[in-house]
Amino acid sequence: MALDPGIIFIGDLVAIFSVYLIINLSLNLEFGFGGVPNFGKVLAVAGGAFVMGTIPFMVFGMLVDYGALEPVDDNIMLVHQINAYIEAHPESVLGVFAITLIVAVAVGGLLGLASAYPAIRLRGDYLAITLLGFGEIIRIIGINHTSLVGGTLGISVPDMLAFVPNEYRFLTASFVLLAFAGVIYLLVARFTKSPVGRLLRATRDDDLALQTLGRDPVKIKFKVMMLAGMLGAVGGVMYASYVEGVVAFGYDRLNWTFLPFVMIIVGGMANNKGVLVGTFLFVAIRKLVIYYNDSLDGLLPFDIIWLDYLALGGLMILVLIFRPHGIIPERPQKTESLEKG
Amino acid sequence: MTIILFDGLIYASVLAVLCVGLSLTYKITSVPNFAHTSFAILGMYMALIMAKVLDVSVYLALPVAFAASGALALFMYYGIIRILQKKKSSLISLIIATLAFDMFMIGVLNIIADGIRNTYQVNSRDFTLRSLDIVIGGDGGLPLVFVVTLVLLAGLALGLYCLLYRTSFGMSLRGAIENESLAQTLGINTRTIFCFAWFLSGGLAGMAGVLMSMWFQGDPSLAAIMLPSIFAGSIVGGFSSVYGAILGGVLVGLSEVVGTSILIDLLGYWVIPYRPVIPFIAMIVTLLVLPGGLIQLITKYQKRKNMTMKKAEEEKEDRREEEDGVGA
Repeated sequence: MALDPGIIFIGDLVAIFSVYLIINLSLNLEFGFGGVPNFGKVLAVAGGAFVMGTIPFMVFGMLVDYGALEPVDDNIMLVHQINAYIEAHPESVLGVFAITLIVAVAVGGLLGLASAYPAIRLRGDYLAITLLGFGEIIRIIGINHTSLVGGTLGISVPDMLAFVPNEYRFLTASFVLLAFAGVIYLLVARFTKSPVGRLLRATRDDDLALQTLGRDPVKIKFKVMMLAGMLGAVGGVMYASYVEGVVAFGYDRLNWTFLPFVMIIVGGMANNKGVLVGTFLFVAIRKLVIYYNDSLDGLLPFDIIWLDYLALGGLMILVLIFRPHGIIPERPQKTESLEKG
Repeated sequence: MTIILFDGLIYASVLAVLCVGLSLTYKITSVPNFAHTSFAILGMYMALIMAKVLDVSVYLALPVAFAASGALALFMYYGIIRILQKKKSSLISLIIATLAFDMFMIGVLNIIADGIRNTYQVNSRDFTLRSLDIVIGGDGGLPLVFVVTLVLLAGLALGLYCLLYRTSFGMSLRGAIENESLAQTLGINTRTIFCFAWFLSGGLAGMAGVLMSMWFQGDPSLAAIMLPSIFAGSIVGGFSSVYGAILGGVLVGLSEVVGTSILIDLLGYWVIPYRPVIPFIAMIVTLLVLPGGLIQLITKYQKRKNMTMKKAEEEKEDRREEEDGVGA
């Protein structure tokens, strides 16, 4: 049964929105609240996606007899075989996906720690440069280390929802992603409202004052980088499982570092509701642009993709100049004692 | 072997010229400019347009690229950085603005590349102008671009020294960098000086781009590929020192080319795509071991030398005083 194009549009919108919401919440945690300019956000996202491209094959390897098939070389056949197994044993997905998520969280945390380590004690600009470098390196490794995620050709991953009947498969995926994103949103919102959230803002605003109160800003920054890395990796797993594949070329600076920055700055930094608004706005706009892309094709003497770069770059500059606090600006947090006066 | 020598020296010199511009603008504006490579790519396309579309000598592209990329840098400084600084934006916002400008320029440069291909049927991606270059002494001789690149780097080092330390303009420039408001109270027009420095930085990058496309390849994607190398060069050198940048750029450039060729011999051809990892490691090691860069090492050594000289003099004086005291 073919799905209605309108439903496909909305389902895809919800799924991509959920993926970006997870990633943007993590970026907001480290950048908006913690003040760590992670220009290598793509590192954690790609790390999570690469885990999704490797770990399920290993775990299913214990359940299914692969024979002589290799995850990368005989990718399509193997994925087909695993999908058939998932259809027969839906309960296996829970375990495999849980293991994948745990590994991804561990990898994301480690990547956050490792990428912050060289420069976290130095000034913000050095940190920014190092993190940007890390983001470029992971793409080079992904593209060239073929046995990891298939190199330039990429790799297909098992469909975790293969047991759902075909006509519901697509919408179920969107729903599951939205549920994950919703839970993470609530957790992050609670986290940032707690005293830890205030601690993070204090690290961002005045680390000297923080030191006089006996806190170590470097330690706090490490912790928030790890936490954000973990969440970013979860986002990567979600995206890779949604598109049922990992292509290293796709994990570039525009889509997974710059776009999240645009989204949270336009929405409003250090403000989870702002992230919600910014993420929805941009995912919807981009979706519409892609939807109407074909009608523009051929009218212009160049590839339409480049307009995306022009628009996002130009818009970011304009927002920074004219509305640096975003659509929903950060509000001072009211504590109980403050409310009592 | 000679190919590696040419490759290494040309790449290292081009990198050093780019590092100088990056460090110069960083020193003035204290913003690491992530759009610096896009000035170089603009230069590359100026070279392509001059050589393939207008059919004139590719060396004419050097002044054209200098002017075009310089103007672009000036626009970036005046239209974005200056405005944000006036609005008291944070350093991170400024960095994001340079990243955004880089994204914008990726779009613009790719549109230029597509436009050249579609209008003039000229290959505008992964192009090289090496065959158009003049080779001194016939086949197997010295390519002119090699000479020009080395001369440019040497001239830059010498010219900057003369400009900064031998002219009153240079003195104003150094003063404006050290303390902008103090320089203003002395009647120095800091705005003109900063504009000049940004123009110079962009123009140099444009020339580097022209030279790059005459030996290696030119492509818009190089902006993202070369960015880590340039930052690595500047940081290895010490980031806020122009001479450190020359040193760091040459070192990183040579280690990239020569290091890769050594690793190919040792490990095999699969290492080639991992070349960008080398400058990255150089940068990380520098930040961990010597965050101030090579120039810190040199100034430390000089300081120590001055200190020991001062100490020796002081001791001498003390002794003399003692002797005088004894004498009285």
